[in-house]
Amino acid sequence: MTSFDLTPATHLLLVLATPIVGSLLVWVLGARGRSAVRQSAVVTAVVTLVLTGWLILRYLNSPEAAVGAPYAVVQVPWLVDGALDIQFSLGLDGLSLWIFGLSALLSLTAVLVSWQSIKERSVGFYMLLLILETAMLGVFTARDVVLFYVFFEFTLVPLFFLIGIWGHEDRRRAAAKFFIYTLAGSVFTFIGLLSVVLWNASHSGILSFDIDTLTAGLAAHPIPMTAESGWLQMWIFCALLAGFAVKVPIVPLHTWLPLAHVEAPTGGSVDLAGVLLKIGMYGFLRFSLPMLPDAAAVAAPWLVSLGVVGIVYGALVAIAQRDLKRLIAFSSVSHMGYCVMGLFALDALAIEGANLQLINHGLSSAGLFALVGMIYERYHTRSIVNLGGIASKAPWLTVLFMLFTFSSIGLPGLNGFVGEFMILIGMFQRSFRGAPLHWETLYLVMSLAAVAGVVLGAWYMLWAVERVFFGAERGSSGLSSGSQASLQKDPHGFTAIDDLRWWEWGALAPLAFFVVWIGITPQTFLAPSSSAVRSATRASCDVFDARVKASQKTFSESVTTRTDSVFPSASSHETQNISNLFFSSRHSLLLTGPRMIPSDQLTRIVSP
Amino acid sequence: MPFFSTEMSIETLQLLVPLVPFIGAVATIILGRVLGSKAHIPAIASIAIAAAAALVLLAVEVERVREGTTVESAARPDESIVTLWQWAGVESDPVDHNANQVAARPFSIDVTLRLDPLTATMLSLVTCVGLLVAIYSIGYMHDDPGYPRFFALVAMFVFSMTMLVAASNFLIVYVFWEAVGACSYLLIGFWFQKPDAARAAKKAFLVNRIGDFGFAVALFLLFVTYGTLDFHDSLSPNGTILPGILGKTRLMDESGIIGGAIGTAVCLLLLLAACGKSAQLPLHVWLPDAMEGPTPASALIHAATMVTAGVYLITRTAPLFVACPGALVVVSIVGASTAMVAALIATVQNDLKRVLAYSTISQLGYMFASLGTGLALGFTAAIFHLMTHAFFKALLFLGAGSVMHSMGGVIDMRRFGGLRKVMPITAITFLCGSLALAGVAPFAGFFSKDEILTALRTKGWPDTAHHSSHESHAMTGLIAPRMHLTSSVESVTNVDAFPASLEALNTPFVWQILWWMSLITAGLTAFYTFRAFFMTFTGPTRVPHEAGHHAHESPPTMTGPLVLLAIASGVSGIWIFGTQSLSLFLASTPSLAAPSVAGTAVPHVFHLDLAVQGTLASLLGISIAAIAHLGRRSDGPHIERFLGPVGTLFENKFYIDLIYVFVVVRPLEFIARLLAFFDSSVLDGLVDAVGRVPFSLGRVLRSLQSGLLQRYAVAGVVGVLALVLALVWQLRG
Repeated sequence: MTSFDLTPATHLLLVLATPIVGSLLVWVLGARGRSAVRQSAVVTAVVTLVLTGWLILRYLNSPEAAVGAPYAVVQVPWLVDGALDIQFSLGLDGLSLWIFGLSALLSLTAVLVSWQSIKERSVGFYMLLLILETAMLGVFTARDVVLFYVFFEFTLVPLFFLIGIWGHEDRRRAAAKFFIYTLAGSVFTFIGLLSVVLWNASHSGILSFDIDTLTAGLAAHPIPMTAESGWLQMWIFCALLAGFAVKVPIVPLHTWLPLAHVEAPTGGSVDLAGVLLKIGMYGFLRFSLPMLPDAAAVAAPWLVSLGVVGIVYGALVAIAQRDLKRLIAFSSVSHMGYCVMGLFALDALAIEGANLQLINHGLSSAGLFALVGMIYERYHTRSIVNLGGIASKAPWLTVLFMLFTFSSIGLPGLNGFVGEFMILIGMFQRSFRGAPLHWETLYLVMSLAAVAGVVLGAWYMLWAVERVFFGAERGSSGLSSGSQASLQKDPHGFTAIDDLRWWEWGALAPLAFFVVWIGITPQTFLAPSSSAVRSATRASCDVFDARVKASQKTFSESVTTRTDSVFPSASSHETQNISNLFFSSRHSLLLTGPRMIPSDQLTRIVSP
Repeated sequence: MPFFSTEMSIETLQLLVPLVPFIGAVATIILGRVLGSKAHIPAIASIAIAAAAALVLLAVEVERVREGTTVESAARPDESIVTLWQWAGVESDPVDHNANQVAARPFSIDVTLRLDPLTATMLSLVTCVGLLVAIYSIGYMHDDPGYPRFFALVAMFVFSMTMLVAASNFLIVYVFWEAVGACSYLLIGFWFQKPDAARAAKKAFLVNRIGDFGFAVALFLLFVTYGTLDFHDSLSPNGTILPGILGKTRLMDESGIIGGAIGTAVCLLLLLAACGKSAQLPLHVWLPDAMEGPTPASALIHAATMVTAGVYLITRTAPLFVACPGALVVVSIVGASTAMVAALIATVQNDLKRVLAYSTISQLGYMFASLGTGLALGFTAAIFHLMTHAFFKALLFLGAGSVMHSMGGVIDMRRFGGLRKVMPITAITFLCGSLALAGVAPFAGFFSKDEILTALRTKGWPDTAHHSSHESHAMTGLIAPRMHLTSSVESVTNVDAFPASLEALNTPFVWQILWWMSLITAGLTAFYTFRAFFMTFTGPTRVPHEAGHHAHESPPTMTGPLVLLAIASGVSGIWIFGTQSLSLFLASTPSLAAPSVAGTAVPHVFHLDLAVQGTLASLLGISIAAIAHLGRRSDGPHIERFLGPVGTLFENKFYIDLIYVFVVVRPLEFIARLLAFFDSSVLDGLVDAVGRVPFSLGRVLRSLQSGLLQRYAVAGVVGVLALVLALVWQLRG
């Protein structure tokens, strides 16, 4: 690097521009046929990945990494006019670091898994896939609300066409539903973001759309969260939630997901499961929690509940599925439930676990969707009951499927365990540190239900593995004669049931590598994002803790009055001691339910 | 040991024991195809190196303990810790928590290896038995298409198991607790083309997951209670000691371990975990099915090592259990019931491997019954029995494998008989194993079983027992309540009702029942063991047609390990019992050196009356088996037919599997289908209905869409104006 010095900002721009340039290249080479197209797409994805990896390494070695501060900041005035201040502002920080890298990694996977399966209109397909890559990279690096929203919406368009044109039988309905559902949600998000901007402007006098400015401004002048103001902060929180919850998806807003996954081409599924679902969670971390901490703290118990419902509900529905891809889609619903629960447990451990779990789920679900696509290419079916005995034919495919399955069901030593465990231990810690009034026992019950979800997760995944990979071979007999004939006719296709081809290795091996690496030394991945995640969520955690403390005070008063009514003679000093006793042993109380204290036991306490 | 006296080389050895088998496993995976029929070399070489390292470590530990005994008391705890890397860590927020709140703790998990007498014993056992089984597998598995895969998995298992017993942190133990489960899953499903094997593998994993649920929740409770998951004490950067859960600081402090409701809950959850892994009631259902795996895997994993992880876990966490007498008695009840139920089922099984599987469950139940006494004797007796059981049960399984190998894969005892002439070495070694299992002196099982019965009797007849057991009973009784009275989180509240209700079981009467159950089980054990032996090896020689004409003794790679294990089953018991080396050695394990455990130690005495009782039970069992089966055709009518409906109950394994299907599996599947219907019809239907609203609205609004560009432009301008006005208004306000 003697002749020119690549500044971090230029480097970041280069990363974002490469897929766009690549897509133009694909367009130009389109006339030369399919192989030129897909080769150029793969080269583009590889170059982007290398540049991204290099940028991440530069970030990790930079002084900014220690505090999770923004790095490689690009800032170009975009619409700056008087009070209006919209910047084309990009940057990488601890919050976006890994998800940014994951986007580049999974884009390569998405391109490679399409190597064989996309035969028609491949120019458009790869162009859209590469545009989608830029959009994904942009969402996570945008430092301006408008820019974020532009990229956010821009991820929808390519995927809409990818599903609608290259999808399976019911692709049109799936694409429409996906698009309308997500768009409808994101309109509310946009309104919410605008309100935040306007509120900030009402204090600072500048219509700034810069995310950092907004966060700081809202910390200085929080949006009111009182009855007199009509719970304004809560309304804005809900508006943001509408879009993010659809994206995550939080049950019951998840019904677009299984349909979209089943109908999407494999490459689309990989990006959808691996990256696009994470935008919702990223939105919570970037906007909702730091900007609206009071509302977040109030809503947290409800969102934790929805997360737990998602975990159990998603797992149970997955048990009943007979389509392998649908099963994995519902497992995504279940796993995103862990993320939601972990984030809104508002406990440092759980939040960091949730942040890591985003990456973990991205790796394992993308791997599983890619493998399902490979199975479909070989057997032309995704039906679990019609498949069987693949292990004898394609051992390496089986090994990788089992690796991602083990990761998905949280087998220790692989990545999935780390996030899941941290979320659960954080959730337990939260329920022992106390929850707001009326939630205390429920928090413990929900923690246990979430742990039970781990058992259910193993159930459906291992059932699927048993049916699809073990036993006698079934798949080929499940083929209709027509598809079997087409199988033999296809010159580039799989004339026999082959094990993994080189491009399939290329798609899966990097994912497998990270699955193992994160499992063995998660600290490597936790540390760089730790401080950014913590500072983004600290305000919400503090508000939540304060609420807990306040509700404990109310509870202590209610106990005092109750004891007074039971023992009218008891002096106030004595009753104070009693309530102290309760709280010094608050987590033993949780086991029996704090508000169900029979009077005879109170007697025991009062008379030593 | 001058050569290994430096700490560095001991640390290196600690690291080598798990690391080398791991390298062996990876090498086998990479080189498997190239090596072909020599694919066993990396695995066996690596396990052999690990075994050698483990034995050196054992010698080092023995030396240390011996030095300790001369300097101080016999119960001087001894451990050494190697920290490898930080697995995960999260700083805690400096929140100003008041006294009412449990503080958020810094979360830091290091991958650490420990060395203490218990770990050294387990390491040696796992690697040595692993080595013998691996050598045996050269003969047993030859010609199998999955030959390299088998050895890779065995080496991987040895790695995981050694890490499990060497880890010094609850979380890392949990990691390898599941890792051995995964190895077990892959080995049970080794012949994945067989649907039964695939199903059995899945079942094993899922049933174990239920146990792991308990383990996970126990970990969470431990973390919120103690603020750490380390076993050992560690030094914080600023020089203060951070006490680990099972570190010396806490163990030497009477109030260091938390009892009461939380403590009891933790213990019961750990017990659930142990029940899963060690196949105790009601989670035992996976082990008999696990026999679908290759026989050497059954011998190593499902008899000698992995299934004893639960016993290891409870021994390791002995101080936690001793602080909760309520939980302890549950451990014994579970153990003794399992021992008896499994023995009853074993009496009517006709599949040789299943007899041995139920026998394993039953013997593990013995160990649990012993652990539950909470006496120092009980813990060491359990580990003693774990060791002898590892030898003779591995021997019996490998013997069964030898039979199966020679019989062309047939394992139904009714289809062969009189094999003592066909395969004499197998027959003699199997006899040694049977005598050890039946508990006939001087074979190993007799001595370890005797110690277990002694421990149980000490609890059942505290006053008539011969030595200071009265005092020791008082010790457990006294220390435990004081512990949870003075603990920081627990106090005199209503929640004591929960452990108290369990403690109500802790009466001599209950222990007497448990003692009788164990004695009866001893008789049953002798019966089913010799029933199997007589059916297989005596009577007229019969060979199934699957064996063809080459029914023969197995090759030396298979008989060699059999002979070695037979010798171990013969002499290990009397040697360990005679010198009391094991219990003195184990007493220096920090967990067992805690005053609450060590205080119950009693001088070692040989009880003639107990020995006679135990032997009588065994001989009675053997005699009945002899009357019924000795010298008879194995497919003939047997005395089991006199059992009538009870026999049907035993044959159907007390219908426990069916109960699971109808109480757990079917209802859950029903709920799942119901929810799936709800999801696709109701929930999604609702979404579609909402989605149709705009279209119907659109029909109404279509009249506005005149197609006139001007009108649209006007609408657009009005909209923008409204937006700008809103902005301006906001800015003013």
